[in-house]
Amino acid sequence: MLLQQLVNGLTLGAVYTLLALSFSLVMGILGILNLAIAELFMIGGYIGFAAIGANLPLPVALVAGMIGGALISAVIEKLGYEPLRDAPVVTPMLSTLGFSIILQNVAINLWGSDPLQLPDQYLGGQLQFGWFTIGKMQLTVLVATVLLVAIVAFIVQKTSTGRALRAVAENREVARLLGVSANRLVLFAFMLSGSLAGAAGVLISLHYAAITPYVGVEVGLKAIAVMVVGGSTRIWGALVAGPLIGLAEVMTVAYGGSQIRDFVVYGLMILILLLRPQGLLGGAQIDRGQRV
Amino acid sequence: MLEVRNLRVNYGAIAAIRGIDLDINAGEIVALLGANGAGKSTIARAIAGLLPFQGDIKYDGRALRPNKAELNVRSGLALVPEGRGILAQMTVDENLLMGIYCRSDKAEALEDIARMRERFPILAKRRNNLASLLSGGEQQMLAIARALLSRPQLLLLDEPSLGLAPKMTDYLFGMIAKFRDEGLTVLLVEQKARQTLKIADRAYLLETGRVVASGPAQKLINDSTVSDAFLGGHAAH
Repeated sequence: MLLQQLVNGLTLGAVYTLLALSFSLVMGILGILNLAIAELFMIGGYIGFAAIGANLPLPVALVAGMIGGALISAVIEKLGYEPLRDAPVVTPMLSTLGFSIILQNVAINLWGSDPLQLPDQYLGGQLQFGWFTIGKMQLTVLVATVLLVAIVAFIVQKTSTGRALRAVAENREVARLLGVSANRLVLFAFMLSGSLAGAAGVLISLHYAAITPYVGVEVGLKAIAVMVVGGSTRIWGALVAGPLIGLAEVMTVAYGGSQIRDFVVYGLMILILLLRPQGLLGGAQIDRGQRV
Repeated sequence: MLEVRNLRVNYGAIAAIRGIDLDINAGEIVALLGANGAGKSTIARAIAGLLPFQGDIKYDGRALRPNKAELNVRSGLALVPEGRGILAQMTVDENLLMGIYCRSDKAEALEDIARMRERFPILAKRRNNLASLLSGGEQQMLAIARALLSRPQLLLLDEPSLGLAPKMTDYLFGMIAKFRDEGLTVLLVEQKARQTLKIADRAYLLETGRVVASGPAQKLINDSTVSDAFLGGHAAH
């Protein structure tokens, strides 16, 4: 039973991790919270549903969700962020909030506000491993998350583009002096972030076998909590905080009751922030001020 | 190599640079001297492409567009900014790799990194350390090595001696003098006027956004009005 809950918690945590990475890619580089990510996640879910419903294999559904997320994210960057990049940070944030409302309304009009269900036939079976069983879909979610995190880690840590991204995040001016086109890198960051949100959406809709236009708000808010708990200046904090929050949530539902679920999750977040305001992996105060 | 004509830079309503002319010939070390707030850094930053400006800056006969740093580095202009501008959250090696980001000849660029490690052994020794863990002098070496990796023809150094121990400053100035022998052209922005004039070929003295004196470094160092204003007054020895 406990082992079973661990698997469930890790699966949920995997999706939170992906979505939190999506938030913190933009947060870490631009210092703005892209609130539209929550709805990219929701749209990704619908794309995944459509692809699976059309009998396409899961990797295709995943890639479709990622491409959809990346493209919408690129539009948001071009229309909602770039024209406002010299405005105070709250301005582009509000514009992403505007985009998130638009996306949610588009989804309600396209697919209705009632939940869509995925018939059992698409969910695959259960795999029996001694003490616990794991749904094939759950296993897929876990494997896909590990793969995606590994790919993102490779891009950010080991490639020339990833280094340029980190350079822009740390010091935009120095990055430009070294030949980095900051505008292009910001667009790339938005698209990478959007593709992760889309992937997370596909995975959670398959995990729950259901989707509504409101899933973005609920899960998106938790992903923001995961990012903050992990440390919003360190993108890899999500790798620790995602499974932690996922496990806390599943364990609470299993042993405490689902009515106190959100109380425990956000309570945990407040507790961690009281003890470690910089987040679990947040470093020492980093000088982000401008030199004169 | 560089021709600056009637350069004006404003920060909002404040005129930081009020129309200056400046020339740098190939193979020279040109010094830009002045007190804090005189506009030295602003000129270097405008040339490097970090600021909007009015007036003309011609580099190799071609007009530079304002605020295009990412293009300028590819045409051979490199700035080591004030405060060194190292990427503190990256390792020494990653900082060097950022130095070749703008290069298209990657294989040769990697060899240049290897050569740079020979030239500055400390960068080889501490290659996997975070750059923030280097001492001030080591960070300055890293910043200069990284700038050299873009293969500049014109190197702009903005107060490289800031915060360095006197011994390190001597070493740094010796190194800059050697750059000239290697065919590199240098614009050196400094407050340590006397020491700078010893290695510079020519110098411009700035006061509140205007050039108040210019000429061969030797001449300026012996000019009593200049030394009174800029060299701390005790020139006559």
